[in-house]
Amino acid sequence: MEKLTDEKIQKGLEVLRREVGSKLLTHVNSCVHCGLCAESCVYYNVEPNEHFVPAKKVDIVSSVYRRYYSTTGKFIPWLTGARKLDDATIEEMVDLLYGSCTMCGRCNKHCSVGVDIEYLVRTGRAMLAEMGYVPETLQKTVDAAINTGNNMGISTEDFVDTLKWLEEELQFEVEDDNAIIPLDEKGKDIMYTLNPREPKFFPLSISAMAKVFYAAGESWTLSTKMYDVTNYAYFSGNLEEGQLIAQRMVDEMKSLKANRCILAECGHGTRSFRWEAPNYLEQGFSFEVETSVELLAEYIREGRIKVDPEKNQEIVTLHDPCNLTRSGGILEEQRYILSKCVKNFVEMTPKGTDNLCCGGGGGQLSMSEYNERRMRISGLKADQIRKTEASVVATPCHNCVDQLIQTNAAYKLNVKIKTLAEIVADAIVLDNENEENIS
Amino acid sequence: MAILEIEGRKFDVDGDGFLSDPYIWDDDVASLIAKSDGIDSMNEKHWSIVNIIRKHWEEKGMAPMVRTICQESGIRLREIYELFPLGPARGACRVAGLPKPDGCV
Repeated sequence: MEKLTDEKIQKGLEVLRREVGSKLLTHVNSCVHCGLCAESCVYYNVEPNEHFVPAKKVDIVSSVYRRYYSTTGKFIPWLTGARKLDDATIEEMVDLLYGSCTMCGRCNKHCSVGVDIEYLVRTGRAMLAEMGYVPETLQKTVDAAINTGNNMGISTEDFVDTLKWLEEELQFEVEDDNAIIPLDEKGKDIMYTLNPREPKFFPLSISAMAKVFYAAGESWTLSTKMYDVTNYAYFSGNLEEGQLIAQRMVDEMKSLKANRCILAECGHGTRSFRWEAPNYLEQGFSFEVETSVELLAEYIREGRIKVDPEKNQEIVTLHDPCNLTRSGGILEEQRYILSKCVKNFVEMTPKGTDNLCCGGGGGQLSMSEYNERRMRISGLKADQIRKTEASVVATPCHNCVDQLIQTNAAYKLNVKIKTLAEIVADAIVLDNENEENIS
Repeated sequence: MAILEIEGRKFDVDGDGFLSDPYIWDDDVASLIAKSDGIDSMNEKHWSIVNIIRKHWEEKGMAPMVRTICQESGIRLREIYELFPLGPARGACRVAGLPKPDGCV
């Protein structure tokens, strides 16, 4: 790890200075050390070690705050548990805040006094980012997004070729040459977004959503310039990089003159743009921002698409993504969709806002350094899935999908992992199918 | 950095099990990594996918799009996920000896 310099220390402390206000003061001063957060954490559950108690994360940020910004901490640090920002502190911060946290926020929910633990983790990560301590693998993903326009470095040519290929497949599937995947079209109602892993490696979810848009007769387009729904700077903690990525999406919405920005099934992408971007861009949206989960529910509710649950006979369970459900409150829509699109739906326990993290959140999927821990905590999710006896796990988050694919293999669950769009697309009854049935 | 040991051979790998030095890769290494993922014997289709990925990476420095893999191999998309249950990235690219691709994979 690179040595700490005075300049770096000042940069890190500047983050705290910038944040000083009632919110930071409340959360750094409120932990009563009751320990209730311990059992809520997936890391602690798998390895009941003091290091993994979420309060430790609160403590390290709070103790640095006290050392530099409270009178008692400045003059009698040994009495107040105040900590100097030195190499040992940094090393511990990196391991606790990046290496032992998926930012799932379950500890927030269980905190007896309402400390926003996740906010302090993000503040600590922001300090580390300013000082240059973002794990290399995570920073590479952010850099790819900034330098190439998407976090996997896909060229525009490769992107367009893939979408054209998917369009041909769609036309073949729905038996209609008018089924299209529109690119860069201005003045459409919806600009849809993607997680880059879809065009690169897992395009079935794009085909599924294109089929849904076709069935709904939607006016939509994809941008070839800015389609990436992710924002890994939200995980690294670098505010400026986060702003830059979010601003690109705002600019592209305006450039394409679309009315609604529909975010692909991506938990942190939704959170970092829909709920956080107005804060760090310091401006509200001049257009609507919604998730595809809400849109799919809307299509079914309003009868814009016809679905038949008989088409999905397997037992399906649901994994609620932390950012979407616990933090964002999107709880009923996914259940409504499944109630209409699958024959056998079973909940896992716990579920909804109390669901356990899959283990891949907080940027963990990109940080190879902590892979062993990530796959160890995923054992909890494996147990949850196994108990449902389901053969399909649906989840509206591509990040969770990837973690669940690995969990499936590592724990030999023998299940299929699907996005909601894939499940809806499988249940769709197209108009020409109706006619065939009637005649 | 970590060590991955398969059937007595040891490899330097990153935390996700991707080769640290992609240039030590050969057919034997590919077969061994595949075995560690539960693919006991690579068939013609596995090799076709792995060789396309490897060739693309050697020429362009990155993993190909799954479209390229499908079109060059003639294997349908859904079958690729059956052949490599961990998917094209963590499954096939790892067997092809590539470094781990960035992003949500």
